[in-house]
Amino acid sequence: MTAYIVRRLWQMLPTLLGVVLLVFVLFNWVGGDPAYILAGKMSNPQQIANIRAQLGIDQPYYVQLWIFLKQIASFNFGASWSTGETVSHVLATRLGPSLTVLVPLTVMETVIAIGLALAVAYVRGSLTDRMVMIACTVGMSISILVYIIVFQYWLAYKMGLFPVQGWGDHFFDNLFRYSALPILIGLVVSIAPDLRLFRTFFLDEINQDYVRTARSKGLSEPRILWVHVLRNAAIPIVTYVMSNLPSLLIGEFLIERFFSIPGIGREVILAVERSDFPVIKAITVYVAAATMIFNLLADLLYQAIDPRVQLK
Amino acid sequence: MRRFNWLLALVCAGFLSLAPWPAAHAADPDKVLHYAFVAPETGFDPAVTRDLYSAEVIQSIFETLYTYDYLARPAKLVPQTAVALPEITDGGKTYTIHLKRGIYFSPDPAFGGKPRELTMADYVYSFERLLDPKLASPHSWLFEGKVVGFDEAAARARETGHFDYDAPIPGFELVDRYTLRIHLKHPDYNLGMILAHEPTSAVAREVIEKYRDASGQVMAHPVGTGAYLLSKWVRGSRIVLTANPGYRGFIWNFKAGSDPGDRAIVAAMRGKRMPQIGKVDIRIMVEDQSRWLAFLDRQIDLLELEGPLAPKALVDGHLRPELAAKGIRLSRIIDPEISYYYWNMQDPVVGGLSPAKIALRRAIAMAYDVQEEINVVWNGEAVPLQYPIPPGVVGYDPDYVSSVHYHPRLANALLDRYGYRRGADGYRTLPDGKPLTITYTARTDSNGTQESEMWKKTFDSIGIRMASNLMQFPDILKAEKECHLQMRTSPWIADYPDGDNFMQLFYGPNIHQNNNGCTEIPAYDRRYEASQRLPDGPERDRLYHQMARILEVDAPILIGYARYRNMLAQPDVIGYKKHPILHCEWLYFDMTKPKRDRSSTP
Repeated sequence: MTAYIVRRLWQMLPTLLGVVLLVFVLFNWVGGDPAYILAGKMSNPQQIANIRAQLGIDQPYYVQLWIFLKQIASFNFGASWSTGETVSHVLATRLGPSLTVLVPLTVMETVIAIGLALAVAYVRGSLTDRMVMIACTVGMSISILVYIIVFQYWLAYKMGLFPVQGWGDHFFDNLFRYSALPILIGLVVSIAPDLRLFRTFFLDEINQDYVRTARSKGLSEPRILWVHVLRNAAIPIVTYVMSNLPSLLIGEFLIERFFSIPGIGREVILAVERSDFPVIKAITVYVAAATMIFNLLADLLYQAIDPRVQLK
Repeated sequence: MRRFNWLLALVCAGFLSLAPWPAAHAADPDKVLHYAFVAPETGFDPAVTRDLYSAEVIQSIFETLYTYDYLARPAKLVPQTAVALPEITDGGKTYTIHLKRGIYFSPDPAFGGKPRELTMADYVYSFERLLDPKLASPHSWLFEGKVVGFDEAAARARETGHFDYDAPIPGFELVDRYTLRIHLKHPDYNLGMILAHEPTSAVAREVIEKYRDASGQVMAHPVGTGAYLLSKWVRGSRIVLTANPGYRGFIWNFKAGSDPGDRAIVAAMRGKRMPQIGKVDIRIMVEDQSRWLAFLDRQIDLLELEGPLAPKALVDGHLRPELAAKGIRLSRIIDPEISYYYWNMQDPVVGGLSPAKIALRRAIAMAYDVQEEINVVWNGEAVPLQYPIPPGVVGYDPDYVSSVHYHPRLANALLDRYGYRRGADGYRTLPDGKPLTITYTARTDSNGTQESEMWKKTFDSIGIRMASNLMQFPDILKAEKECHLQMRTSPWIADYPDGDNFMQLFYGPNIHQNNNGCTEIPAYDRRYEASQRLPDGPERDRLYHQMARILEVDAPILIGYARYRNMLAQPDVIGYKKHPILHCEWLYFDMTKPKRDRSSTP
């Protein structure tokens, strides 16, 4: 097991290097020159040259790339070009609000989608199954923006069930009060595609011989579904959930903007708007690393779920 | 008994001597203003930050020598920490400024537990920070080319990479602790306004040296002499300002102007000791709907109506009756800004001063319907301008009428006359028969796309082929400063409310700085240089008129519009009026004590 983990971690390095090169090339190719923004509206060529020197973007590309690699190796990405805030502080302070929404959302989304998917898989082909599938298709066709605008207006403003927006100082206040509506919207948006996908995983299993054998042995339907079918369908579900986690962190930006949640997603958009390369590159590298680590964790979970899986 | 009285007096005197910051203000901690920023702040170092929202906080915490009268329009300069308006001598080349005594920085460990009085040396230090190459301040232009020895000090600092704060700059003569004499290279009557701009706010050297980061900035630890203190800051999310207990305060005594609403403000506010508001709680709400619903839900007391929100609250520039019935009030001003359309005067197709090129630009200018852009792109929330100086700015002339009018038929005739012939495809060629295509550059956002479409329609109406070039903002700035764009709509908002700040946009030597159209017209430049030597008055206005006519005749630009700024105030807000230049207006208005439930706000 340890040898497998070490080998997988070692194999991540070329992938991470590829991400680093891609980010570096993209930023220098399409990212714009931040010196022109930082110089203000009454700037002259000398000031712009000075700012470029201060930021280090007047250096040859290979020097800039080397500095970037050293920053990754030391986990020190310097400070934001716009605000002077250290990137480590940006990440440390923005991660908490994002996770406050993301963790309960992911857990609830997965549990609810699994439950519903099992239920509709059990009644596959029935009117209920077809109606749920139609509802899922309709739900998936509507943009998250529509859900946010409608739910914020009706549930928060008109009916007063939730705060319109905001973020407090205490964890439980944020979790139960300010995150409630964002989580609800996240659930509404994500359950439909999850349900459809998980249903197909379960349908693949339900027609297997071992299910027929279990039934012939007189096992109850709930036990067959929740123990045998779920366990066998868990591997693609784990793959799906784990690979989605890092991207959810960034993908939350619309919810964070509308509900004024000071999270990572909103910070990424802001950094892009400000051409704030230190923040962009740190978040990109960390998200890439997180994706690879979550994939590794998923592989490790496979063995826990199904002992027949051998990690080589 | 007498001995006891003496003892009591001594004890009281002892306590008083330990309290160098008398609680002079009347701010009530129960009066809390809830406010929202449209975009996140960046930080609170006056020398470095350049965004509006950080400036609002900076104006609350720090003080400049001068500020503006709350009600006077156009904006009128008044002393803040200075005793009086500057004494201008030597034909506008020497400014003598006296500082009020007994102004203290808010207590900070950097001062070693001692009261720290504001002196003129603090202002000089703050001005010099604008030059420090390490800081790369975007505000060095405020003194560049103006103050004796300033440019030389900047050049030395650039060479060595280090700014020597102990080496005096001859132009900043410290006569004594409370008197500063500024020596200028050329006459300049706008320096007073420059000294009201928040980058010139006083910071204490001890604070900067104690808290600065690797680049010399102190973004997170603002210590000033102003009316408020930063008591909480969650970056990009929440800023809480509380009234500075050591602030000296002032009595509200502004005079009503011509605005009919001024008298009610004066009646409600006159004689109050300011500031009245004890706490300002600012949230960053970037989405329009979130801010709008939060305002309707009374989570915020003052709302800036950004473009897309205006139709929700306004009808024909007036507050919707249902909002007025709730006691909500509108404060609406024309921003001290212009948006103008420029053609690159160095461009081989549209630039130059030959009759054919001038005819081409004038024809395009006559074919463009500014009012239609205001209606379509800006929801009617702008006014077309005739003059390069917008309303509310010194030098604005409401009676001036431009000679350039919307007249597409005449535009076509002009092009025909100067040899821009239509080909078989309906599009014109250059007089020498070469193809004619003009590239219009705009931002990639929705406004940029709409503006581009408006111009496409205009160019089609006069048979000129247009290419649209949508670019990211930093790329636009770079291309513009290098004179590489052919044509663009360029906005400019006043740094100080004087016509000079707008007329300099078309001054030849400002190419590669903010003369975006790379305009160089000798007749204009001569008049601009002469105008700089004059104070505001009929003689300078006459020059400005001539310069405006030159811009119409040679057509390097077409003057466009100025946008409205609309602020909505809840009924609890007393005496609010949007100021065209001041950001931190909560120093000047009041609120009723809270009665409502604010349970939805943390």
